[in-house]
Amino acid sequence: MTGQTQEIHFVTGKGGVGKSLIAAALALSKAELGLKTLLVELGELSYYSHFFHLPSVGYNPMPLSKDLDLALWNGSESLKEYARHLLKVEALYHLFFENQVSRSLVNVAPALPELAILGKITSSARKQGPPVPYDVIVVDAFATGHFLSLLRGPRGMAEAIRIGAMGEQSRKIDEILFKSPLCHFHIVCLPEELPIQETLELHKQLRTEFGVEARIILNRVVKTNLRAEDLKTLTVEAESSAFIEFLEVQIERTRSGLRKLTEACGHSPKQISFFSQTDPWALTKSAMEDLK
Amino acid sequence: MSPRSEERTKSNSFFTDCKILICVGGGGVGKTTMAAALGVLAAQSGLKALVLTIDPSLRLAQILGIEGCSDISLVPGQSYPGTLKASVVNHKAVFDSFVRRASTSPEVVDRIQNNRLYQQLSTTLSGSQEFTALESLYQSHTSGLYDLIILDTPPAQHAIDFLQAPQKLAALFSEGVAKWFRKPEAGRTGIVAKLLNSGTRQALKILEMLTGADFIRELSDFFMIIENWQSKLHDRTVEFQRLLVSPTTHFALVTSFEEAKLSEAQVFSQEITKSGYHLKRVFLNRAFPNWHLDALQIKAGNEKVVTEIKRLFFEWKLFYDLRQKLFELFSQKLPSGVQTYRVAEFIMPISDLNGLEKMALRIQEDS
Repeated sequence: MTGQTQEIHFVTGKGGVGKSLIAAALALSKAELGLKTLLVELGELSYYSHFFHLPSVGYNPMPLSKDLDLALWNGSESLKEYARHLLKVEALYHLFFENQVSRSLVNVAPALPELAILGKITSSARKQGPPVPYDVIVVDAFATGHFLSLLRGPRGMAEAIRIGAMGEQSRKIDEILFKSPLCHFHIVCLPEELPIQETLELHKQLRTEFGVEARIILNRVVKTNLRAEDLKTLTVEAESSAFIEFLEVQIERTRSGLRKLTEACGHSPKQISFFSQTDPWALTKSAMEDLK
Repeated sequence: MSPRSEERTKSNSFFTDCKILICVGGGGVGKTTMAAALGVLAAQSGLKALVLTIDPSLRLAQILGIEGCSDISLVPGQSYPGTLKASVVNHKAVFDSFVRRASTSPEVVDRIQNNRLYQQLSTTLSGSQEFTALESLYQSHTSGLYDLIILDTPPAQHAIDFLQAPQKLAALFSEGVAKWFRKPEAGRTGIVAKLLNSGTRQALKILEMLTGADFIRELSDFFMIIENWQSKLHDRTVEFQRLLVSPTTHFALVTSFEEAKLSEAQVFSQEITKSGYHLKRVFLNRAFPNWHLDALQIKAGNEKVVTEIKRLFFEWKLFYDLRQKLFELFSQKLPSGVQTYRVAEFIMPISDLNGLEKMALRIQEDS
């Protein structure tokens, strides 16, 4: 496994659209191909610990299933690991991170945590810093707005700091993210007005600002061969009419949503069914089947 | 009692002893819409209500018809016993204005505005959105113009982020960091060389090795300028804290009907109560729809169509039945004195004031 062929996937979308499930399903689909895969969540708190009922999820990858590991990455841990790698001398490292001021600085310095996270994700691809020995990295990334600021971090920093290691590395991270074929971007969406609107805006923004063509994944689609017209032919009891109306709206929304997304994004979105089960692995596997 | 005045009394009691209502919740749970609907409910019950939000998608402005308004505006098209005002807070403007007021001299304002790190990153500083939200809340509260202010907290991954934000920002301004970079005597050059503490000097050298001298220069400049605001920021955070723990400041947690979100909400509800805040309500948004799930009654129709509808119906029923069990477990584990509401899912998304009124009615129906 070399940095040159490592695939990096970012999964984003509006809050509440099911990003984490799709990211897990995508990671599982890669692992089932025999590719060594790492599923990464970002931030201080783990969602997957609640979802998969795990006692804890931390910075170091832990096994989740065959060929699939899980980790939770945040800025300060990423920076620490990078410093340890670069400084080589353990004493120097301790001197830096045991200084109380530098500890708090690392957490509050503008953009440093974001850069450290992206640096960690792209470290194998850039051949810089400790390698991340996986064939595939799937990042369950932040929601739309926060994700855009994350992506803007390296460019902003490279603008502000032109000379020195910080500027140099920021430029390299930006290159790997947007100019190499290694990184893939996925926007998860629901067949509902707001998420569709936000997806269209995000897709356009990624295209114009970063030259990225993101793939759209439409989640929680009611898969049925029924058409809205079919429902109009029914005679139903009053108390059942709300469900029929609900179904009609679902079918119509999916149809028009798919049309809008296909027109604007230039490809027809992958459709993931609405699943009633609550078991995390059953859900992840069902979503994975639909992703294929 | 006429139905109308009965309704008024009922919703009045909803906001008894509450001057500030803070809506918290993770991403995508419908927090903004809930805050707006609660604002409608307050105005309906005769209160002078203000809804404050930091919503980058400007969604609330659209729903309320106050797009393009930079200040607090009266929501058009209302006829309530009270009044509903709203504002979509401009984060950058409020933050910059705080910086201007807190700066000791015009020269300091110039310096910070010319600092390249500040230019690039002032709007993404950790905790700054939350600071802006609290600053707007504080100003509206001290104006004394409102009976009730509802704050829709900035978008965050987790509900707990809002409560941790002030400490994060305070850490940014903490004396230690600025001291680190401060020149021992004004007028002399060589920030690094002049530092007295050798451990700190070493640490800074290491940081310079990692990031480059250019970065360190901008960073030290950044911290030295913002040191000017430290005492003002400190005073403000003390005021914020006083406001947040006041018995008339209530917290409402908005969450969605999903196992992982519920389990997160539970951790949050324990944290917030432990920290001395007053969590009064939990809203489970987009819960059960208003259709009856016991049976599906179809009198006539094409057999294939009916079979397919039945299949879909039972799938949905299963979906909600499984979640009902999770909800029951969740309710049992909440701290005492916290009331839960299930706000049923709407078939059509809420897009205007009328939609918010329907939502306000559902909230009331469940109380």
